[in-house]
Amino acid sequence: MSRARNAAELVGPVVLVAVVGLLGTLVTDARALEFIEALVFVSIVVALYVFVGNSGVLSFGQISFFIVGAYAAGELSLPADTKGDVLRNVFPLLRDHTIGSAPSLVVAAAAGGIFALLVGMPLMRLSGLAAGIATFAVLEITHNILRNWEKIGPGPTTLTSVPETTDLWQATVAAIAVVCLAFAYQRSPLGRKLRAAREDPFAAQAAGIDVHRQRLWAFALSGALSGFAGGLWVHFQGTFNTDPYLELTFLTLAMLVVGGVGSLWGAVIGALVVSGLDSFLNDAENGDVGWLHAPDGTRLVVVAAFMAVVLVFLPRGLTGVRELRLPRLRRLRRPRAAAQSR
Amino acid sequence: MNTIQTLIDAMTQGSIYALMAVGIGLVFGVLRLVNFAYGQLVMAGAYTLALTNGWNPALSIVTCFAVVIGLTMTMEVAAFRPLRNASPATMLVATFAISFLLQSIASLKFGILGRTVGTLTGLNRPIGDGRLLVRWVSIVAIVVAVIALAALVLLLNKTSLGLHMRAAAADFRTARLLGVRANLVISFAVLLSGVLAATVAVILTAGTPYVTSDYALRDTILVLVGVVVGGLDRLWSATLGGFAIGFATGALGGFLPSIGDWPFTSGVYLDSAVFGLVILVLLVRPDGLFVPRGRQTVERV
Amino acid sequence: MTAILELDGLEVRYGAVPAVRKLSFQVGKGEIVGLIGPNGAGKSTTLHAILGLVPAHAGEIRFEGRSIRGRSPEAVVRSGIALVPEGRRIYAHLTVEENLRLGLAGRRSRDLESLERDFEWVYELFPIVQEFARRHAGTLSGGQQQQLAIARALVARPDVLLLDEPSLGLAPQLVDVVFQALAAIRERGVTVLLVEQRAQRTVAFADRTYVLSNGELSTTLGPGDAGDTDRLIAAYFGR
Repeated sequence: MSRARNAAELVGPVVLVAVVGLLGTLVTDARALEFIEALVFVSIVVALYVFVGNSGVLSFGQISFFIVGAYAAGELSLPADTKGDVLRNVFPLLRDHTIGSAPSLVVAAAAGGIFALLVGMPLMRLSGLAAGIATFAVLEITHNILRNWEKIGPGPTTLTSVPETTDLWQATVAAIAVVCLAFAYQRSPLGRKLRAAREDPFAAQAAGIDVHRQRLWAFALSGALSGFAGGLWVHFQGTFNTDPYLELTFLTLAMLVVGGVGSLWGAVIGALVVSGLDSFLNDAENGDVGWLHAPDGTRLVVVAAFMAVVLVFLPRGLTGVRELRLPRLRRLRRPRAAAQSR
Repeated sequence: MNTIQTLIDAMTQGSIYALMAVGIGLVFGVLRLVNFAYGQLVMAGAYTLALTNGWNPALSIVTCFAVVIGLTMTMEVAAFRPLRNASPATMLVATFAISFLLQSIASLKFGILGRTVGTLTGLNRPIGDGRLLVRWVSIVAIVVAVIALAALVLLLNKTSLGLHMRAAAADFRTARLLGVRANLVISFAVLLSGVLAATVAVILTAGTPYVTSDYALRDTILVLVGVVVGGLDRLWSATLGGFAIGFATGALGGFLPSIGDWPFTSGVYLDSAVFGLVILVLLVRPDGLFVPRGRQTVERV
Repeated sequence: MTAILELDGLEVRYGAVPAVRKLSFQVGKGEIVGLIGPNGAGKSTTLHAILGLVPAHAGEIRFEGRSIRGRSPEAVVRSGIALVPEGRRIYAHLTVEENLRLGLAGRRSRDLESLERDFEWVYELFPIVQEFARRHAGTLSGGQQQQLAIARALVARPDVLLLDEPSLGLAPQLVDVVFQALAAIRERGVTVLLVEQRAQRTVAFADRTYVLSNGELSTTLGPGDAGDTDRLIAAYFGR
């Protein structure tokens, strides 16, 4: 595989993200918020890709780590004076410490990563539909507990007063960092082993690859990156609650699948295109687009319709990515038919 | 009394979920497609019942069936057929997108506030003198489920069409080369799943008259989980899985608050309990709870 | 000889790979025609193309004079062609009787009398199918499953029976059973196109045997050539 091709796979998405960040500086502050949101989505979707794209295992649970990261970063960086109001019953560890925004992002990543590691140890033995459902169960449990347990969070009330420190610059740099990390991982021996296992787990095991361990690595990394993105998000919005957990899960998964689940490009493009569409329609609803005024609620309809249409007619996603680039293990197109061609 | 009531409620919940599980399992059997948008069929049925509120109840119900069946056949042609060869992830997310789409349309057209359905709320009355809080709708739900499942078993085992459906679900390609009319079998399975969705809509609206755009969404998710936990490959294990999760949710919901002051036993942690169980089951029997151990084929690494 | 089945320049591809190239041959009504060749020669593909399971890239397939190319498998079966697929493809979880009834899906005539007679004939040919009617088909041995597979195809009352390696994996006595049944089937007026690995036996048995190599017709052999080992080998492995 040529160096040039390698480079293109990284440079492409990075340049795209940088361009988006740059464009964000050219618009009004209000509009720039949409750019920031889109860039944070890039981080979330790339984090998702790190696991789902490389392992081929469907996980509905990555938003759990996003949520954990958001709460961790948000709670720890609440100014000491407001903390008492917002978090009344939390554990002393959370109540008595306040840290800055940047360190809180690190904590968020750590929290997401550790949580993913713990959850992944038993779960990474599963594949296919069982894995999907099990990770979905993790999502539900995370949501349920964080929504109700007042010792680690605000409980049913929304977390507020979080310092809003995520600006365009941070969001862009963060997205680029996440993309680079994802690329570094998939090019590393760890990533390669996992991709081999993705194509054919049995052959990979026979070749000495510990599939469970490789999946766990990817899962933990994905969890850390998701947590990190959660920290970015909470410092962007200033508030957080877990209510949209389902919507976020499917939105990010759909962004990945729409873009093309097998590639980094796909993750970035899917996130940007769907976010872009969503923002554009949001503006149209508010009357900010001169030539198009859309009635309230059409935004959701159009975004959903767009996703449905792309997925139905372009099952490989917008980037139409060939599933894998390991030539020796590429699956024949019609394995059964080919086997019968005697 | 409380125990009996809880048990009956659990049976009711289980029965309704069993019906939905059959609807999902039938389509999966012939199309290998997990239809996340199944809940929207129930939603559409509920909306139809709400909108035909003042009508003659029989006519209202018939219209509900017509709308739901029409919608599901449209889904089959517009979405399921093109999705035939996509990966499971794509199929699930695509049907979710469709579900989201239908929800948004309903939200846009009919509003988020929902409408009250009057048609069968009479069934919400308790039986007898009200000491035992069992509503008529519970009994109806259980009876209807039993009848529907019995009818289905008869259809599948005693008729040619049923035989063709079972064959198509087990090995589609071979069925075709024996002359089984593939499209007919698929359409019939889809039609049946629509009929079941409409039935569920009628039963649910008797108990929950408020109709919103995410009607039955929670239930669909739980049924999907139950179907996979039960064993998606065969119809009976999928149905049993749907029943099980409905029963478990109903039972736990009744018993959990009464356990006492243990941490995490407040009723709000019901979901965690149910899903915790789900994870445990999947770790031990990834292919499905009701699939015999010898037949567990899902790869474990 | 009136040709009941005719292939004319048939080409089948898997992606860019040609599996069958410009294949032309005829099968006469009431004949038993063999199709042999090494692995990968395209024999199964030919049968699948006739049945419409794989699309024909070019060429014609004619049944009773009319083109059936492009028809769906169900339509082809209903026209009067039945396939006994490679590996039997029995429904293990259904009973033997249910498997048999499935074969009725391709049947054209509806009247009960002929149905009874056909079933009687099938039971005569393969008594185990009647004996084990209520057993799950998965509990049958390989040879018994093969008999069931043929019986299943026969209850559709086809005019042409295609068989894909029916003797694969069978013990010699069972192979005899299969070939005897084929003779009886031909006597009934059903035309047979038999794809086989057992070259010698097929050449001796069939009215005419085509040798397929690399997707192309390389030779045609008659029963008289069955003893000529050199000719068989040459035909099988080269041109």
